[in-house]
Amino acid sequence: MFRTENWRHFDFWLLGVVVLTMIFGVAMIRSAIAGNETLAELPSRQITWASLGFLVILVVAAIDYRLWGGAVRWMYLAVVLFLLLLYFVGGQRFGAARWIETGLVSIQPTELAKIVVIVSLAYYFARTIDRPRSWRWLLGSLLIAAVVAGFIYIQPNLSNVIVIMVIWAAMAWIAGLEIRQMIVIAILGFVLFVLAFFFFMEPYQQARIYNFLFPDPNASYGATYNVQQALIAIGSGGLAGKGYGHGTQTQLRFMKVRHTDFIFSVIAEEFGFVGALLVIVLLGFIVYRCLRAARLARDPFGVFLAYGVAVLIFFQGAVNIAVNLNLIPVTGLPLPFISYGGSGLLSLMIGVGLVESVVMRHKPLDF
Amino acid sequence: MRIAANASGLPLWRFLSVYLLMGIVVAVFASRLARLQFVEREEWTLQAEDNRTEEISVPPQRGIIYDRNGYILARNIASYNIVITPAYLPDDPADVERVYRELSALTGMPTGFPLTEESIEQAKLLRACTPGPGIAQWVALGESNAPYDPVQIQCNVGQEIAMIVRERSADWPGVGIQIEPVRDYPTGYLTANLIGFLGPIPANVAEAYRAQGFDPDRDKVGYAGVELAMDEVLIGTPGRRVVEVDVAGQELRNLEPPVPPVPGNNVVLTIDTRLQAAAQAALETEIQSWNNYYGYIRISSGVVIAMNPQTGEILAMAQYPTYENNRLARIIPEYYYRQLEQDPRHPLNNAAISAEYPPGSTFKLSTATGALNEGVVTLTQIIDAPGELLLTERFSPTDPGNVRPFRDWIFDQNPAGFGRIDFLHCIAYSSNVCFYKLGGGYPGEIDNGLEIWRLQQYARSLGYDRRSGIELPGEASGLIPDPTWKRINRGENWSTGDTYIASVGQGYVLATPLQVMLSGATIANDGVLMQPTVIREIRDGQGNVLTLFWNPVAHTVTDRPLEEGSYQISPFVPNVRWDITRDPVIEDFECESGYCTSTGLFKTVEPWVVESVQRGMRMAVTEPLGTLNRDYSFRNYPIAVAGKTGTAEYCDDVALSQNRCSFGNWPTHSWTLAYAPYDTPEIIIIAFMYNGGEGGVVAAPVVRMVMDAYFEIKSIDIAEGAAP
Repeated sequence: MFRTENWRHFDFWLLGVVVLTMIFGVAMIRSAIAGNETLAELPSRQITWASLGFLVILVVAAIDYRLWGGAVRWMYLAVVLFLLLLYFVGGQRFGAARWIETGLVSIQPTELAKIVVIVSLAYYFARTIDRPRSWRWLLGSLLIAAVVAGFIYIQPNLSNVIVIMVIWAAMAWIAGLEIRQMIVIAILGFVLFVLAFFFFMEPYQQARIYNFLFPDPNASYGATYNVQQALIAIGSGGLAGKGYGHGTQTQLRFMKVRHTDFIFSVIAEEFGFVGALLVIVLLGFIVYRCLRAARLARDPFGVFLAYGVAVLIFFQGAVNIAVNLNLIPVTGLPLPFISYGGSGLLSLMIGVGLVESVVMRHKPLDF
Repeated sequence: MRIAANASGLPLWRFLSVYLLMGIVVAVFASRLARLQFVEREEWTLQAEDNRTEEISVPPQRGIIYDRNGYILARNIASYNIVITPAYLPDDPADVERVYRELSALTGMPTGFPLTEESIEQAKLLRACTPGPGIAQWVALGESNAPYDPVQIQCNVGQEIAMIVRERSADWPGVGIQIEPVRDYPTGYLTANLIGFLGPIPANVAEAYRAQGFDPDRDKVGYAGVELAMDEVLIGTPGRRVVEVDVAGQELRNLEPPVPPVPGNNVVLTIDTRLQAAAQAALETEIQSWNNYYGYIRISSGVVIAMNPQTGEILAMAQYPTYENNRLARIIPEYYYRQLEQDPRHPLNNAAISAEYPPGSTFKLSTATGALNEGVVTLTQIIDAPGELLLTERFSPTDPGNVRPFRDWIFDQNPAGFGRIDFLHCIAYSSNVCFYKLGGGYPGEIDNGLEIWRLQQYARSLGYDRRSGIELPGEASGLIPDPTWKRINRGENWSTGDTYIASVGQGYVLATPLQVMLSGATIANDGVLMQPTVIREIRDGQGNVLTLFWNPVAHTVTDRPLEEGSYQISPFVPNVRWDITRDPVIEDFECESGYCTSTGLFKTVEPWVVESVQRGMRMAVTEPLGTLNRDYSFRNYPIAVAGKTGTAEYCDDVALSQNRCSFGNWPTHSWTLAYAPYDTPEIIIIAFMYNGGEGGVVAAPVVRMVMDAYFEIKSIDIAEGAAP
């Protein structure tokens, strides 16, 4: 398994930038805590997670990604069971059952589920690469995504449902989704969304979308408070920001959930346009390296795997930044590698490990 | 490229379309960032600054009000409020509950558990500190707004409870004592009409005060009396701190050097509290004894004023009924305020300056001065004063007129009246018949009377018909009518009868007690009308006496005289309004058979005229039949006193309802004014009693008692070596 020659192709740029981004993230979490005593240990916890993640990258990279193909069914089953378990014993946080409290840490199975969906879809699309792009083929892939998405939906966790469906759509697109299928799916998706909005969504989810579409100009301390404060933070950051630990919006805690959902605003406030752009560049570089791996991959499974991880990182990052910039309604997606959160970080690390595994083995032999 | 034919054989354009999408997203982000951070930066920065900065107004200490001897009439005392800072309460709800329980046991306030939404909503409608909601409700309300702002739980607790709360602060985290300055009036009721009280800044001027740095929700302003008139002097300048706050409202640091508040200036009044107390006691004792004598509340209200006629310093200004301004100090209780407001006796008003009554015979000083100065009568002329006089009432020169009886006050006791008397005895006996003749003329005896035009001039020269400009709010101007006034306001011609009764201070003539006193003071002071004042000096916090002027028109205090009528109030100087023997304040009229026309000239009063009126007033005390020559007034008084009584018929709603507004049956107000010593008057006292009856019998004893008190206080001061 540890054939040394493969490590020559290990993407040190990818690993390096991921580590750099995580370090930056830890620094920003430290600033974002802003003296809140109950959050004081988060940076060190994040360091623990990041260190663990570093090991995970190396271990996952070392394992030949093709081995996962055989284990896909078991992995998928395990995740579904995990999610089911969550449904019955999960601890509630902020109104949603998303966590399993173990003795040591609380695990969020949803994060892991996203990786498993990527692996499963990659395996499915790779195996069916020569088949005709029939409705049966498409529905087969949709089933893989939808079952997991369904369990995530009942948590409820709408944003991760969207993440999974976007991953599915993006992978199906690459796998050769036909235009007419796409149109039908788009129409169906829209109808489903409208139906869901009126019949299935929780009031808070409806309110978020409603608040985004029709903001109330008088409600500065109500529903739009968080986004408004984030915009103030970003806008007042200017070109170079107010300096590390000197962002007034952050340090005086006018922004909420600073260390997770709105950490991008913390960066934009304390490091200004330069810092915000740096984050985009760093994440963009990571996505680019994943796509590079997809391009280099020796087999379709590797292509889909690396591509899926790229889409995951890109989409989560884009959604998070778009929320911060008030371009889309508020969702709870973290900023990859930077926001606080162990499970999310670990899952992304597994993803990066998979990409490394793909890129390490892109040439059959290298003498 | 190779990718198209890579291992998967997937078409390149599909990848490229994804890259393109990603590129667009990044471009959108970058442009959005640029827009927020470059184009709109200013606005967002302003909002961020606005978030973190808070301007805090630091209340200044309100100035203290002293009487002329340094006795405190208004000050600030500490009031203790129990407050809870929600952010500092224990984390454990059980601990919080324990704190509430123990606090509840100490204060008797409900804990407020169970804390329901409904109970919080109810508390929301109430002002802080209103009894009713429990501790938990108040805390819940404050916690949701600003957890670092102390929430008032119970206000104005005793010092003992405040100390207990302080001692237990270690056991009760978050619970504290807030010290709030509250106005305190040591003399309360005794000086309420003069000092007034404070109230919240009214909504219509809230913005103006906010612009000066005051907090309309916290700071108070004067609502009455000296507290209102001298508000700008007393209120001080608020300090200002600009602090950085966090989202919970916790102050972190000063962003600018703090500006400390400047305490208000202290005001020293001309009032002598001892004399004020004597005046109040004399007034109330007299009213009470008469009411007891009659067996019902006959005399409903009264006023006493004492002034130095040479300087205009008001030494006492008492009234009954008045109110307890300490009850209005912390908040203005609605039921109490409404009770005062609806009282027909108007206890909230300062009756000495804002109530207008017919002056009755005290007004004869004006008629006397005019008649003598205009040559209507001479000192040697003998006037026939029978008990009843038949006079013709005409509304125009061609009106044949109705003959009406006009009675003297003595008629009931002696229908023959005072008989044949000279001018000075007219004053001393206060003969109505004599003054009817002087005022309106009497064919064959007084061919040309003084007439209303000239009477008005002399009355004004003695202080009637105009506000005095004293530094107190709500002063009324009184009324000296003339034919033009009657035509406009009554739609009727002036009649000869109007002149007759105006000559004795009846009919349309109205005056405030202060004006009546000023007329006596002007005569007493040899024709010099002094500006009445209650302010002796105004000192800043270091004790420096400030030079300040009062503008009686705008009711403002300025550091230089701004308008006609402005006069210096600090440091005290006697301000002469005019000297009727020198300043030509009297418009000259030529009168012919009851009708007068102005010559456009102005003239003065001859000094001997003033001196003669003084003698007439002195004779009221010295002559056996004088109105003030009684045991309970000034008979054999050791100090030479001069004065004038008045028994003023009136008709108001009360009298009308009792069917008393008819000839010979009118109810009467009692007046008496007297000054002493006769040669160099240093005190003039006036007493007024509503529905008191005969002035010399009812009001004169009050003046006598206050006069006694004045000279007793003076002898004490001399004995103690103080300046007299």
